[in-house]
Amino acid sequence: MTRFTLGRLLALGPVLGLVLLIIFSLARIIPGDPAITLLGPGATSEQIKALRDQLRLDQPAPAQFFAYLAGLSHGDLGKSMKTGQPVFDEILLRLPATLELSILATLLALVIGIPIGVLSAIRSNSMLDHVIRVVSLVGVSVPAFLLALVLQLIFGIYLGWLPVSGRSSPYIIADPITGFAILDGLLQADLELVVDALSHVILPCLVLTAFLAATLGRFVRNMMIEVMTEDYIRTARAKGLAEQAVLFTHGLRNALLPAVTIVGLKFAEMLGGAILTETVFAWPGIGRFMFEAIRNRDYPVIQGATLVFALLFMLTSLLVDLVYALLDPRIRKRMS
Amino acid sequence: MQSFLRQSLTASMLVFAMIGGAAQAQRSDPLKTLIVAVSSDPANLEPGTNRAEPIGSEIILNVFDTLVAWTPPAFTALEGRLAASWIVSADGTAFNFKLRPGVKFHDGAELDADAVKFSLERTRDINPYMKANFGLIADIAVVAPLEVRITLKEPMPVFLSLLAQPQAAIVSPTAVKKFGDKFNVNPVGTGPFSFVSYTPDTSVVLNANPNYFRGPSKLTRIIYRVIPQASTRRLELENGGIDISQQNGQLSAIPVEDIKALQGNRAIDIIEVPSQIIRQLEFNNSRTDSPIRDLRVRRALAHAIDYDGLLKGVLGDTAERVYGPLTTNSWAFNPKMKELAPGYDPAKSRQLLAEAGIKPGDLKFTLYSFQGSLWGSIATFLQANFAAVGVNVTVEQTEFPSFRALHTGGKHEIALDGRQPWYNDPDAHITIGYLSGLADSAMTFRMPKDQDLDALIVKAQTTVDFAKRRDLYFEVQEKLMERVPAAFLFSNKLIVFKRANVKGLVINSAPPLSEYWGVSKE
Repeated sequence: MTRFTLGRLLALGPVLGLVLLIIFSLARIIPGDPAITLLGPGATSEQIKALRDQLRLDQPAPAQFFAYLAGLSHGDLGKSMKTGQPVFDEILLRLPATLELSILATLLALVIGIPIGVLSAIRSNSMLDHVIRVVSLVGVSVPAFLLALVLQLIFGIYLGWLPVSGRSSPYIIADPITGFAILDGLLQADLELVVDALSHVILPCLVLTAFLAATLGRFVRNMMIEVMTEDYIRTARAKGLAEQAVLFTHGLRNALLPAVTIVGLKFAEMLGGAILTETVFAWPGIGRFMFEAIRNRDYPVIQGATLVFALLFMLTSLLVDLVYALLDPRIRKRMS
Repeated sequence: MQSFLRQSLTASMLVFAMIGGAAQAQRSDPLKTLIVAVSSDPANLEPGTNRAEPIGSEIILNVFDTLVAWTPPAFTALEGRLAASWIVSADGTAFNFKLRPGVKFHDGAELDADAVKFSLERTRDINPYMKANFGLIADIAVVAPLEVRITLKEPMPVFLSLLAQPQAAIVSPTAVKKFGDKFNVNPVGTGPFSFVSYTPDTSVVLNANPNYFRGPSKLTRIIYRVIPQASTRRLELENGGIDISQQNGQLSAIPVEDIKALQGNRAIDIIEVPSQIIRQLEFNNSRTDSPIRDLRVRRALAHAIDYDGLLKGVLGDTAERVYGPLTTNSWAFNPKMKELAPGYDPAKSRQLLAEAGIKPGDLKFTLYSFQGSLWGSIATFLQANFAAVGVNVTVEQTEFPSFRALHTGGKHEIALDGRQPWYNDPDAHITIGYLSGLADSAMTFRMPKDQDLDALIVKAQTTVDFAKRRDLYFEVQEKLMERVPAAFLFSNKLIVFKRANVKGLVINSAPPLSEYWGVSKE
């Protein structure tokens, strides 16, 4: 197990190197020049040239790549072409917002998705199952921006229960401690801060949860139906086990194994891909940051953020494998 | 049970607080806090690195002061800000500024001539955006502790306008030395508001400067909230989550839908003021291998356009008619342009094409344009206008860097283009747009060599006497209109949405940046 983990961790280096080479090349292949984009339509060629010189864009691409690698070896991800600030600091500033949203959305999806999956499986083809199927279908197929807008209108404007956007009330200015708004509220022993942070996270969290909970619900339902026809379930029943024990100890535990992969991958995807939700809710996360960087052709940010996404994705995937091993003794045995 | 829960929560929070040991959060008074929604982060927050990006520029004008500034509400004359008075030499190359006494930076340092010299030399040396103009500064001399003399290499009447720009704002030398590279996120000026914090993708917070030399603002705080999505900004404005919503994306979108939706809302005011932005159908005036070189063809295209239809139908009256190379609110606008501008006259257009020997359907152009729905709608409208007089046009909307390369390379025949001047002077439109020597240097009208016209433009640019200069610009406009270098389409209005309880907001036309010193909330 330890050997397996170490092996996977060692593989991170070469994979990240490859990712970097690909993204470095791709960023420069797509048309567009950061100096032109940053200065806008009114700029003169002289102004553009001066900015290109300042940003060292006049150097050949291989020279830029090796200079970037040299910086990376010292842990330097470069500076944003737009703001001039270190990319590492910029990413670190935004990562807690994305992590907070993704973790809460995943937890909520688990809390909603698993019970509805089990319920649909137990009452398969009943009216309840049909209703859950339709709701799940809506959850999977409604575009995130549309769901976001509807939730903003209902809860933000008509009912006035929740804020429309942002991560905290603009009238409350708190020094970040960890960058996680809810945790920071707790650390400051400020109930208003905690409630404020929670009220802001609910709507974007619901948008992200809708898709994952619906997918998870359908997946758990199908797996449960399949698992409940297995021989060991029949044996368990024949042994005289209570139906609840059969369902949860033998049925659900086995049905959940493949769901771990789905949850893990979707969680990793959320870390880098919640661009629409983050944009509509003005949520200061890493997805929106990356989107802006691509629009501005901010090469160091595109490269740095991709490296962080790749790293997070690979770590999450490793974590999924480890959880798998914890849940399934057969895999644990194979790993060791 | 409830009291148990509350006690548990309070106890656990106390434990957290002991671990965290953090300072208490600050609360703002909503009636003294102005919340301004912006579409993206400011690129830069200090003059040395500012490249005329609108959000950062506006913050700079509220945190820093310039030597001179345009006087509201007309914005046609300059007034002293940090300069108590100034004298310009007869030849227009030397500017002597006397500074206001007793002005302090937010860090407590005194404003003096050394700080002015330091700031302007710093912008000249590190800001590529100002390299060309500030490169003409020969010397900045400290004459006395509160007196500074700037000498130029050659006359530049527009220099005072440039000094009113955010890039020319005066910075605290002690703060620059203290923060170094981080001054960009720790700006320190003398302005009505002092910088508190910048949280990327979230907000910029400014506090009122109680010692501001023009008197403290009625507001205690301004918060710029970054809200990228236009629909979210609208909902926040309706909900009272923000006080002011600016429209910075005028290159790609006009808020016609927002105006319609918010017009009936009593809690919201819509401010519309004329700008100096010009949008035009540009002809490539350097092409010698295209029918566009024929004056009759250019005139025919200009007469084919239904200007009023464009303003009403496509732009929903969010723009005004523009008659020539300058907008009607420019101090150098020649009223004769209203007569000289080609009007909508399809019959005349057909006649001119026939005179040029062009049969209906024979003439084909590709109309290049920026991306975005606004430009797409304008291009399609023009396409229909041209089709009505027998000219076939294919619309091609291109990504900006490629469009710029195509344009500056002179590969187009006709293209949609525009200019938003960043300083309040006709030079901002005329010199860069029409001087033949600069044809390749930016997205210009690509004027062919014309010694007389070039000489006239340079004379208008460098003449020091104001009245003579205005007359010269009158002449430049008439000469340009004879040549029909473009069909001048419209000038966007500057549109700002605000809550009705926000009072005292004045919108500047060039550059379109607001100062909030005189704003209050009821």
